[in-house]
Amino acid sequence: MVGIGRANGFVSRRRFVQGTGVAALAAPNVLSAQTPETLVVNTQGGEYQEIVEATVIRPFERKFGVRVTNDATGTSAQDYARIRASRGAPGFDVAAVLNPPEILLGQREGLLERLSEREVPNLARMWRGMEKVVPPFAAPHTLQYAGLIYNKERLEAPNSWSDYWEPHRRYGDRIRGRVIAYNPANLLSVYALIHAAQLGGGSVNNMDPAWERLRAQKPFVGVNVTTSAEGVPHFENGAVWISPFWSGRTGYYIDRGLPFGAVIPREGVIGLFDCCAVPVGARNKRLAYEFCNFRLEPDVQRAFSLAYFSSPSRPDITDWPQAFRDQQILTQERFDQIQWPDSEVIGAQRAGWTRRWQDIMA
Amino acid sequence: MGTQAGFWRWAALAIPLGVLVFFFALPNALLLSASFLKSEAAVLTDELTLENYREVFESRLFRGAILRTFVVGVGVGLLDVALAFPLAYFLVRTTSRWKGVLIALSLAPLLASVIVRTYGWYVILNRNGVINESLMGFGWIETPLRLMPSTGAIIVGLAHALLPYAVLTLMSALNAINPNLERAAMSLGASRLRTFVHVVLPLSMPGLIGGFLLCFSIAISAYATPAILGGPATQTIATQIYVNMMTLLEWALGSALAVVLIVSSMAVLLLTSRVGAKKAAP
Repeated sequence: MVGIGRANGFVSRRRFVQGTGVAALAAPNVLSAQTPETLVVNTQGGEYQEIVEATVIRPFERKFGVRVTNDATGTSAQDYARIRASRGAPGFDVAAVLNPPEILLGQREGLLERLSEREVPNLARMWRGMEKVVPPFAAPHTLQYAGLIYNKERLEAPNSWSDYWEPHRRYGDRIRGRVIAYNPANLLSVYALIHAAQLGGGSVNNMDPAWERLRAQKPFVGVNVTTSAEGVPHFENGAVWISPFWSGRTGYYIDRGLPFGAVIPREGVIGLFDCCAVPVGARNKRLAYEFCNFRLEPDVQRAFSLAYFSSPSRPDITDWPQAFRDQQILTQERFDQIQWPDSEVIGAQRAGWTRRWQDIMA
Repeated sequence: MGTQAGFWRWAALAIPLGVLVFFFALPNALLLSASFLKSEAAVLTDELTLENYREVFESRLFRGAILRTFVVGVGVGLLDVALAFPLAYFLVRTTSRWKGVLIALSLAPLLASVIVRTYGWYVILNRNGVINESLMGFGWIETPLRLMPSTGAIIVGLAHALLPYAVLTLMSALNAINPNLERAAMSLGASRLRTFVHVVLPLSMPGLIGGFLLCFSIAISAYATPAILGGPATQTIATQIYVNMMTLLEWALGSALAVVLIVSSMAVLLLTSRVGAKKAAP
C-alpha cells in the first residue's frame, strides 16, 4: 500500500508540511475532546478550602467524571464585586459561598440566574420557611448562626448578649482591652449590633440602642478587625477573651483543642445561609446547576456539616452524633427559633451602619 | 523610505498612547462618571447627583481619612528623604570595594513583599509584640503600650517599605554632583557643615524633591500597610475606597473617594514640583 502523497516511496516535503499543519491545527480539538469537562467554582480559603474540596468537590468530580477548578478567594461581598465588575461573567461558573444580601443585589441587578426545582431538584427538600430568607436566585447549602465564644481559661461562660456588649457589668475591669469588635462590613458584626439594639428595645429598623451600647463597649475593646478569620489569631494568643462568632468555625476550632467555649445567649441567635449561585455569564451552566444540586445531596450535606461543624440546609437527614446534635440546627422546631432579620433592610442600611460604627470607634 | 519611517514614528507614538487611553484614561473616565451616579441600597442608578461628593466632604469620617492620608504621605516622604540622604551620600562617595554589595543591601527590602514587611512591623508593634514584651520584661512598663493601630505605625511601616525608592532617587542626584565642588569649598575655608548646607544640599534638591514626591505619591495610595497597621480610628482614603468598593459594594461613593484622592494628590504633586523647580533653578 502506498501512502498518500508518497513520491518514490518517500513523503513529499509539501505533503509533510500539509499533514503536520493539519495535525497541529486539529490537536487542540483532539485534546479538548479527551480532556474532562471543567467547572470553575468560587469558594473560600483556609480550613474551608480543605473541607469543601474533600467533602464536596472531589466527590462531585468522581460522580460526574469532570474536573473542578476551585477558586478559593474572596468573601461573599468580594465575590459579588467580581460578578458585578464583569457584568455577570466573573470567570467562575458557581459562586459557592454567597450570602443573602449579595444575592438580593444579584437579583436586582440581573446578574444571577434564577434557581428553581427544575434546575436544582433538591431545593424541594429545604427547611420550611427558608424561602422567606433566601431569594430564589440561590441554593442555600450551609446554615450557621452567630453565637458567642469566650476563653474558657480566663472567663466564666457568658449567657447573654449583654455580657458581650456591657462586659464590665459581668466581668469587671479585668475585661478591659480583651473584647474584640468587628467592622459591620462583616455580617457577624451586623448581627451582633442587631442583638445590641434588641437589648435596648430596638430592632433592625431602630438601631439607636445599638450605638449607645457600642459607645459603652468601646473602652473595653482591645482589637478591631473586619473578617472572622482575622479575629482567630487574637483568640489563639490570648489577647482577646470574648467575641461573637460563627457557629461553624467555632466548633472546628474547639475540636482542634483551642481553649474556646461556645454559647447560645438566652436572647437567641441570628442565622445565616451560605448559598450557591450561578452568574448569568457562567460558561458551563448545565454543570453549575448540577453542582448546586449535588451540594444539597444528603450525603454531601452530612459530610460537609460534620467536617465544618455547621448545620445542613435540609431537615430530612437523621442519625447525627449526639454532641453534634446539641450545638446544631437539625430540627424544624429549632430552625423556627432562629431569628432572620430582613436582608433587604440590612442591604439598604449596611453602608450607613458601617459609617456610624467607624465614627464611634474612631 | 521616508513614508515608512513616518509610519513607524506614528506607530511608536500610537501604541503607548493607545495603552494609556485604554488602561488609564478610559478607566478613570468610568470612575469619574460612576462618582456622579446615585446609588440606592448599593445599586447604581442612572440618576445624576452630587450626593456622593457631599457625603465625602460633610462626613467627619471621610474628612478625617483625607487629612490622615496626606499626613501619612508627607510624613513618609519627609522621613524617607531624611533617612535616605546620609545613606545615599555614603553609597555614592564611598570607595570601598564592597560598594556594589552595600548598594544591593540597601535595596534588598524591595525583594520582600510589602505584606511580609508590614507583618514584620505588626510582630514588632502589636500589643503582645517584641517592643512591649521587651519593655515589660525589663520592668520598664507594667501595661503594654498602644503602639498600633496608629497613624505613627502606618508612617513607620510605609517609610520602611518605600525607603529604597528615596535612596535610588537621591543616589542619582548625588552622583551628578562633582566631588571637586565640595573640595573647592573646603579648600576655601568652608566647614563640612557649611559645605553641606551651601553646596551639597542645593545641588541635590532635585533628588530630594523627586524622592519626596515618589514616596509621597506611593504612600497616599497605599492600602495594605494602613489596613494592617491601622484600625477604625486610622482610616485613610485607600482603606475607605476598599471598604466601599469591595465590602459594602457602594461603588458610587467609592468612586467619589477615588476621584478626590486622584485630584488632590495630583494638585499636591503639581504644586510641590513647581516649588521644587523654582528652588532648583540657578
